Amino acid sequence: MNRRYFLKSGSIALASVGMSLSAPSFLNRIVLGNGVTGGKRKTLIAIFQRGAVDGLNMVVPFGESNYYSVRPAIAIPKPEPGNAESAINLDGFFGLHPSMNSFKQLWDSKRLAIVHAAGSPDNTRSHFDAQDYMESATPGVKSTSDGWLNRYLQSKEDPDRSLFRAVAIKKTMPRVLQGRAQALAMTSLAEFTIRGGKSSANLQNGFEAIYSRKNTDPLADMGRETFEAVNYLKQANPEQYKPENGAQYPRNAFGNSLLQIAQLIKAGVGLEVAFTDLDGWDTHVNQGNSRGQLANLLQQFSSGIAALYQDLGQRMDDVVILTMSEFGRTVRENGNRGTDHGHANAMFVMGNSVRGGKVYGRWPGLKDDQLNEGRDLALTTDFRDVFGEIATRHLGSKDTKSIFPGYSLNSSHFKGFLG
Amino acid sequence: MRKSVVFILVLAMMAAQSIAFAQKRPKTQKLTEEQRIVHVLNRLGFGARPGDVERVKAIGLENYINQQLNPEKIADSVAENKIRDLSVLNMTTAELYEKYPQPGQLLRQLQSRGMLPADLAEAREMRADAPKNNQPQPPAGNPLEDPKYREMIEKYYRENGLQRPARIIAELQASRILRAVYSERQLQEVMVDFWTNHFNIFANKGADRWLLPSYDRDTIRPFAMSKFSTLLEATAKSPAMLFYLDNFQSVSPNAGRANPLRPQRQRRGINENYARELMELHTLGVDGGYTQKDVQEVARCFTGWTIFQPRGGAAAANAMMGEAGRRNAGTFFFNARVHDDGEKTVLGHKIPAGGGMKDGLMVLDILTHHPSTAKFIATKLVRHFVADNPPPALVDRVAATFTKTDGDIRETLKTIFFSSEFNSTEAYRAKIKRPFELVISAIRTLGADTNGGPGTHRWIERMGEPLYGFQTPNGYSDAAESWVNTGGLLERMNFGLALASNRIPGVSVNLSKLSTDQSKVMDDYLKILLAGEISAGTREAMLKQLDKSDPVTKVVGLILGTPEFQRQ
Repeated sequence: MNRRYFLKSGSIALASVGMSLSAPSFLNRIVLGNGVTGGKRKTLIAIFQRGAVDGLNMVVPFGESNYYSVRPAIAIPKPEPGNAESAINLDGFFGLHPSMNSFKQLWDSKRLAIVHAAGSPDNTRSHFDAQDYMESATPGVKSTSDGWLNRYLQSKEDPDRSLFRAVAIKKTMPRVLQGRAQALAMTSLAEFTIRGGKSSANLQNGFEAIYSRKNTDPLADMGRETFEAVNYLKQANPEQYKPENGAQYPRNAFGNSLLQIAQLIKAGVGLEVAFTDLDGWDTHVNQGNSRGQLANLLQQFSSGIAALYQDLGQRMDDVVILTMSEFGRTVRENGNRGTDHGHANAMFVMGNSVRGGKVYGRWPGLKDDQLNEGRDLALTTDFRDVFGEIATRHLGSKDTKSIFPGYSLNSSHFKGFLG
Repeated sequence: MRKSVVFILVLAMMAAQSIAFAQKRPKTQKLTEEQRIVHVLNRLGFGARPGDVERVKAIGLENYINQQLNPEKIADSVAENKIRDLSVLNMTTAELYEKYPQPGQLLRQLQSRGMLPADLAEAREMRADAPKNNQPQPPAGNPLEDPKYREMIEKYYRENGLQRPARIIAELQASRILRAVYSERQLQEVMVDFWTNHFNIFANKGADRWLLPSYDRDTIRPFAMSKFSTLLEATAKSPAMLFYLDNFQSVSPNAGRANPLRPQRQRRGINENYARELMELHTLGVDGGYTQKDVQEVARCFTGWTIFQPRGGAAAANAMMGEAGRRNAGTFFFNARVHDDGEKTVLGHKIPAGGGMKDGLMVLDILTHHPSTAKFIATKLVRHFVADNPPPALVDRVAATFTKTDGDIRETLKTIFFSSEFNSTEAYRAKIKRPFELVISAIRTLGADTNGGPGTHRWIERMGEPLYGFQTPNGYSDAAESWVNTGGLLERMNFGLALASNRIPGVSVNLSKLSTDQSKVMDDYLKILLAGEISAGTREAMLKQLDKSDPVTKVVGLILGTPEFQRQ
């Protein structure tokens, strides 16, 4: 963060020398002047399933007999016509959890790809470490100060200098977007303003003056960013928003987050990276099977994403949705009809440009001797190869070295879910 | 010429940004007496109320610090009166289960006792049947989605003097706010906040909302300034922690078949969750030198540390134990039957077979005396009280005190408070207030009154840090760069405006009482809120904003939203 302020403040200093110093609110004009037309651009929507989703019940390897012998209480039954509680057949070996039927159509139209047995090569079973590694994309290295999506932003100049280039629909900035590149955290577009009743505009002027460049506190830099964003958003007029194509977002916090993202994309404010997350996947106890705790969460998760996909319609030509979770869960169910912290997991990649309808990644098997440390799904795809494929082939990054420090990204390891 | 101007600007900024969110300030100056007092009131407490600086000056700063280190000797009747009506604070966990039941659970219990009213039973049946043939299934299990059903339940609650469980955490949050605002034992409240975060518990995990009042009252509060080992043992035995980190159901795979209360109901096993977090987050720190093998061994040591009737008095327990079973619901007990009694090795120490509950106590003892723990706790305390980037030399001295005094928290704190690093210009107003600290300090400095209710807490939440609302066990970070962001900053400004214009439900502020002279209103409030310390830039901007209509509200709202007021 320190370098971020240095660079940002540095660029402001340059601008102030180069431009007329008498312009009263020069800062906003410079930035807004360049940034109003975000235009058509590639966008990544990254969604984190925090708490480690049980990938083996989300994308069910029903073709593995061992799956049923080690999960007597929680296994999802094999696909069976007419049985709404059985897995949704994908390819004769894998199936979706039955509560995710809103993904079926995306799979059938080849817009949904799955990478199974993917994740972090680090063996940690700590949520915090594993989330940290997935967000920093430097497994095993805790000292990395920024997140990989922020490093992507750093690696590529944005000609439009959009203030909404990266947005987290979160109360606080997630690790993955922390860093010196511009990013915003907000929970709702409509509330992202000074709320002072009739005097709002007047009060905002006051704060803008206080947080002007005369103020040397690094917080003032952040204040200026804040007001640039507030003013920019007012122009986009998000309150007029209506979902299209009959999309119905689930009426909960997750659905609402996705709706905010759709608004930003449609407002053409230059959104390139959006992030949100859904908690509660840490199902140590009474995980449930076709119904229950995990089923409810998966239903929320999949119906929300399907609504977003539907709402964005043709815009999904330029959008990729990626889902991730810090690690998988134990292959065997535990003594509490739940699962404990495991290793590899499944990720979804969606979009009109995605070569979907396929489960990517080598399947390592579930026999006892095929498991990681005798208990978890083994890892065959490093998550950085998934991130890297999206960064290069979708977002068009050419500098993957700086995005994935310490990892030599090799396109021959890409799974090929993008062109 | 231009290039050299830019170069100088850049150099100046590099110096200013050497620490994240740190400000450029002269290093040679010493703090004035008044600044030292303000600093202590900000860091050992939640900011100065009107008159506090003068009061501390009168008794002497060192005396004040020593008083704060002995909270049990400070009379605190105002705060005690403020929280008197929060009934959950004085209730046992068993009473909370009975008076604040979860609707679904209550109905199941009534049904099993044959006491479910007929109309409710009928409504419940209908609901249970409805979703069976539907696909996709609606989220099951929440009976309150049906308005008619909800109405009937609400009636039942009213008629039987019951309250909804959400009320428990609302009252607990209120108690934290009220105590932080009104208590004379300011350092005690700061330490309660610190340890509550260090030993974080998420209220929305299962039974934890019923277990948290006891956690605050019986676990954190009494030991916030005792020995670290005492506090650690209290948390290890606390039902809230046992539930939050799943240890309450961690049992030896070789035992448990003989449990008469649960005949063959479940295959059970070891749960490593608590063992891992105990070392990673509570004691050694993540790089503190333990292995996955240690995690497994520690988990074996804690098998059988559990909760009696973790979700309230079930019919079976009541039948077996009668009133005693009822009274003890939700309390700690060691279940020797499910303990793994074999030999273990933890961090190189042998723990002999047959130790029973002593195994876990030995683990706590090993961890408390491990040098990594001293270093980890010292680092966190210095980060909290001094600077986001803790000065390494001070951390070493604080860790040394921790080791020498067998983890005496008061003595450890003393090393911090009387250090040159704490009393330096670099540390002064260098830390950014966390949302809880910002809200409380604004209320205190303005001499405002709050009932501690949801109106106040909602702002803490909007800024991103609801009390008991952090899901993962690491707690809210004390380093600003991990949480200060634009959205949060905007909410801080909005909070200042809402407070100054008396728009926060349950909070009242009388601004005219502190400044009567319209012409001096800005300087008066700069003095009250910031001890008059404001940058030339902010001051100049403020002056331009003064207008005739209601200047006080505007001035105060703006000052509360300045970068300066965000710091302590």
